Amino acid sequence: MPITDFHGNTMDLHSTLFRSLLEMSSVRLEVLWSPVHRDKFITWGTEIFLYETFEKFDEKPKFDDIELSENSGARLLATNSNYHYVKCVDIYPLKGSEILMAIGQANGKVSLTSFGPSSFDRLGVNGMDLIPKHARQCNVVSWCHNDPQLIATGLDRYRSDHCILVWDIRSRTGPTTTAELGLSDMAHSLSWLQDHHKTLVVGMNNKMIKMVDLRDPSKAANSSQTKAVYGVTAAPYSNCMLASYVESQVAIWDIRAFEKPVLSLQQSKPITKVLWCPTRNNLLGSLQRDSKSIHLHYIQQMEELDHSVVERSIKPGVSGQITSFSWHPNDENRLLAITLSGSLTDTYVSERITLNWAQSANIVWTHGQRTLQSVSCTDSIYDLLGDISSVMKRRASRGYGLQVELESNAELVDDEDLKLIWNWLGATRKLSDEGAINSIPKHPGIRSILGIDKTTPISLTMKSELAFVPFSGISCNASAKIYRSEIRDMALKLCNWSFIHNPAQLLKTVETLESAGEITKAAAVAVFGLQLKTAIDLLSVTEHNTVSMALSGYNNDKDSVWRQACTASRLKLQDPYLRAIFAFLTADSDNYNLVLEEEDMAVTDRIAFALSFLSDSKMIEYLIQLTDQLTADGNLAGLILTGMCATSLPLLQQYLDNTGDVQSVATIAMRTFPTPLLECNRSQYWISSYRELLDMWRMWNHRAQFDIQHNSRTSTRPEQQIYVTCNFCGKTLSTNQFSRNKGPFQRAKVSCCPHCRKPQPRCAICLVNMGTPSQSDAVNPNSGTKVNPFNNWYTWCQSCRHGGHSEHISQWFEGHQECPVTGCTCRCLSLDAASGASV
Amino acid sequence: MFKLHYWVSSCAIPGQLELKFYSTMFISHSVSTDHKDLIHDVAFDHYGKRMATCSSDQFIKVWEMDSENVIDGGWKLSATWKAHSGSVWKVTWAHPEFGQVLASCSFDRTAAVWEEIVSEPNIYAQTGQKHWAKRTTLVDSRTSVMDIKFAPKSMGLLLATCSADGIIRIYEAPDVMNLAQWTLQQEVPCKYQASCISWNPSYTRERRCVKKAFTKIPNSDKKEADERSEFDGSEENPMKFPFHVDKGDKYIVIPEVPMLAVGSDENSSTANSSRVVILHYSSYVRRWHKLDSVPSVADPVHDITFAPRLGRSYDILAVATKDIKLFTICQLIGTTGSSRFEVTPFATLEDHNSTVWRVSWNSVGNVLASSGDDGCVRIWRLNKQTSWKCVGTIKGDGRRLILPEVINGGMALAKH
Repeated sequence: MPITDFHGNTMDLHSTLFRSLLEMSSVRLEVLWSPVHRDKFITWGTEIFLYETFEKFDEKPKFDDIELSENSGARLLATNSNYHYVKCVDIYPLKGSEILMAIGQANGKVSLTSFGPSSFDRLGVNGMDLIPKHARQCNVVSWCHNDPQLIATGLDRYRSDHCILVWDIRSRTGPTTTAELGLSDMAHSLSWLQDHHKTLVVGMNNKMIKMVDLRDPSKAANSSQTKAVYGVTAAPYSNCMLASYVESQVAIWDIRAFEKPVLSLQQSKPITKVLWCPTRNNLLGSLQRDSKSIHLHYIQQMEELDHSVVERSIKPGVSGQITSFSWHPNDENRLLAITLSGSLTDTYVSERITLNWAQSANIVWTHGQRTLQSVSCTDSIYDLLGDISSVMKRRASRGYGLQVELESNAELVDDEDLKLIWNWLGATRKLSDEGAINSIPKHPGIRSILGIDKTTPISLTMKSELAFVPFSGISCNASAKIYRSEIRDMALKLCNWSFIHNPAQLLKTVETLESAGEITKAAAVAVFGLQLKTAIDLLSVTEHNTVSMALSGYNNDKDSVWRQACTASRLKLQDPYLRAIFAFLTADSDNYNLVLEEEDMAVTDRIAFALSFLSDSKMIEYLIQLTDQLTADGNLAGLILTGMCATSLPLLQQYLDNTGDVQSVATIAMRTFPTPLLECNRSQYWISSYRELLDMWRMWNHRAQFDIQHNSRTSTRPEQQIYVTCNFCGKTLSTNQFSRNKGPFQRAKVSCCPHCRKPQPRCAICLVNMGTPSQSDAVNPNSGTKVNPFNNWYTWCQSCRHGGHSEHISQWFEGHQECPVTGCTCRCLSLDAASGASV
Repeated sequence: MFKLHYWVSSCAIPGQLELKFYSTMFISHSVSTDHKDLIHDVAFDHYGKRMATCSSDQFIKVWEMDSENVIDGGWKLSATWKAHSGSVWKVTWAHPEFGQVLASCSFDRTAAVWEEIVSEPNIYAQTGQKHWAKRTTLVDSRTSVMDIKFAPKSMGLLLATCSADGIIRIYEAPDVMNLAQWTLQQEVPCKYQASCISWNPSYTRERRCVKKAFTKIPNSDKKEADERSEFDGSEENPMKFPFHVDKGDKYIVIPEVPMLAVGSDENSSTANSSRVVILHYSSYVRRWHKLDSVPSVADPVHDITFAPRLGRSYDILAVATKDIKLFTICQLIGTTGSSRFEVTPFATLEDHNSTVWRVSWNSVGNVLASSGDDGCVRIWRLNKQTSWKCVGTIKGDGRRLILPEVINGGMALAKH
């Protein structure tokens, strides 16, 4: 804002001082996108620079290019240093033309110039000067976008001269003013209204905003008294919004209610610039003095002139104070900011991204203002996000959890823990069916077999025999303490480790493991079975042959060098089973903690080890501690210990909390819990949650199958849903009653009411009474179908209550929308929202 | 879909593990909505087969999933209409058992309920033309209605709205067949301007499909029944007490109490209490009450969402503010039988490093998607019981996915 007029000719001391002040303020760097070029902008301070932007993605930046952002750079095309006191610049807005600048200067002269030779030379426009009668500072210059040969300039006050001059640069007689406004007034800012032809809005004299129609410039079309006369700018989208500022206040105007601003936005610091975003409805950017951020004002507008604002500020990447910014004319929300030091940043004001995650495994979010982006479960990328629900849906569609054989469910999952547990459940089911283990729940855990959970002291129920069994196959006479009892054997069966006491079976197991590629596990099994020789042979032919070498040196001397060496190097072994082998062989007097704490060893193997080598009290202690740990971890393998009884509830819950896999938990509970446990609230909560999920996936058939299996295991029968009664006598038509009355072998004719003998309603299609078979495919009486097939059943529209044989009705609606009954206009099919959505 | 993989950065943070990320190019499906202004909300129906969008252009558009359609990600526009006389902030679907029903709220101070109906047959249209009819306009608010949500279906046909003057309103349609009649059940004033609202979706009355579980326990299973009571609370008396009674001071696994969370985007620095309010429904007095223990969030809240519970033993509430805050909510029963809710901070997810606008859960409630001012969509997953990790970052333009190598890198490379 200039303080006084400035004349270039005479200068005294005072004005020298003032000039230097002016110099300082004129160094303020400005930036402006070309309104017609996608990739050109200018900056000016003491000199004017023209830049071209490029995408880094397309071309490699050269040495002297400047970086605008992560993705874009700019290179200098041209410099113009002919003008020293540039006050304001505007670029010629005609599409397809080259850059032509109108430069308003401190002496009031407006010069039209381009960078280098251009098509404007021929027109005589390049180098044209628009000179007011009296020299004073030019505050604003603006091309008319609707009529690009007009240019409006706003000047400081001069006695008996106009402050606004509208020039026509293409008139034959050279540049002439077509309109002069505001005699002895002062123009601070001006803007052309977008949709109103030749209408200017001018901020004047520190006290008013005036709207002038150039067709009748003698009087103001509209005006308002205000101090907010700076930076008047018309909104590009709406044809009635204006913005202006004074000091630290931004004023938003609506020209339909011009008496006062519709919004006054008080800011913390003095404003230096306001600009409407040309690509976004009602978004105003404002810049405050000495500020490092640009403030954005989203104006909300209602039809009845009710406004509110949401404000936000953005910090373009640079750290310096921003002196100016410019919106890109076409790119959505793109703006360029320049700082005190001249560094430029190109940023996009990101729009608020709204997003939603559909039940059908589809993430949708908004990009920019009007575009949606989506990633769905059909994209390969989706699996990387780890949404268990799409995994569960895939499993459900393969019939997971509903397979007749429990272990078949294991084949439908990739997860090792789930595989293990389904196989274990299948195995225990077999064992209890065969009577090999007798227990009331079908799936007892090791704890219930051993009676750990019982109130009677364990020492009474369990007494194990201790045997010293020698290692076989090696020369030294070492032996290991092995505990055996009937319940221990039974528990070993549950772990599938019953082979441990039977050398022949043991060898077979070792071979199976070997062929499955689990060499180290096979070796560990052999060592735990005290067949050291087998283990050594096994390992010697693999990459573990050094281990085999070490093993062959085994001796039971407590202080041997072998033992010390093995204890030391054991921890360097990568494989948990190899570590366990040495931990076992080097253990001091029954202290097998190192084996038992080997957490990478399968849980069953650890349990089986404890069952064979630990004394009663130690074993119980270990198993209890292991259960607690597995429960806390939510490790499904812990089910082997707890069995399918109440103690498994917290474990399953923890697994569910960790993974969200309500499917496995619900199906395991449904298939294997004893009835009372199945009916407890928590299991029912899991089951109803899973059913909800199946319904949400529209897998109603799967849900129904789940319900069938579920209800067959509960103590209550589901209630009958529908009763069919006779229209005439009101008595039930239930077929159960007929068969009871007339005997099971003689099929009742049900085309009439069994009580009052009145006929049943007719099928709307075949006009035959209900209760008779639909005749389109005559059912062979010997085909073996016992129940009357679904095709013959009643079905009817819930709205118009017309219906008939389900087969006929569904055939009808394959080709029709409307009810088959004459005169009924019910659109039965389209009323079925589910069918509509599934089409 | 995958074009190339390249390592984006590997930076060593002193004293920490070397973090490696790699990014893959991919193209998400893009849908151009033809809205004339910014889209404020996207809502899916219960099955995820229909989508509604609303925008500042005052329109609502409804889209159908048509998986055979390859353009626009399979979404096909089925209806578009001018719904309000101001920006439409939010739109929400009712459960399909109430019909095809939408509700919307707007800057024009109203909320509206819409129903898709089949038009009367006429000679021009052979097939049943569908269109959306306005069933009611809820005009109680004196300020812009910021959010609207339908309650879980087991509570009936209920709507909650919150408005810029901080008033939460709960409406009920007593007759689900008549969508024109809504009664204002309760107004709950809150301190600050509200911005978002979320029902706890886990509350369900239809939990027990076996009704008389307790009456039919055979005597031979007495031991089992005793064991069971340990976990269920056999003294349960729903008439006397709305919650389960559990021994000791344990939390209750099964959701029993309807809950509603409201967030506020109040910005003023003088406001010093939490921007989150949780309401719970007391069935004795049939009123909504504010929870005493609230998550303390001192920054403006832009979105708030309860995670679907589906068998989990506690509720999770996600709050989008300057970062993402997660809270667990569980109900505790003291030894005296008094129940209380415990709200515990669960995690703070800061990777956006900027304002977070929206948060949304997957259908199971263990993976969270969020969008922030950094222009990215981030995916978070519960990892090892208590820690949450960002497992993927998608650039807003849907052209790049960044995965942390530690979790998924090897897998992804092996896969493609």
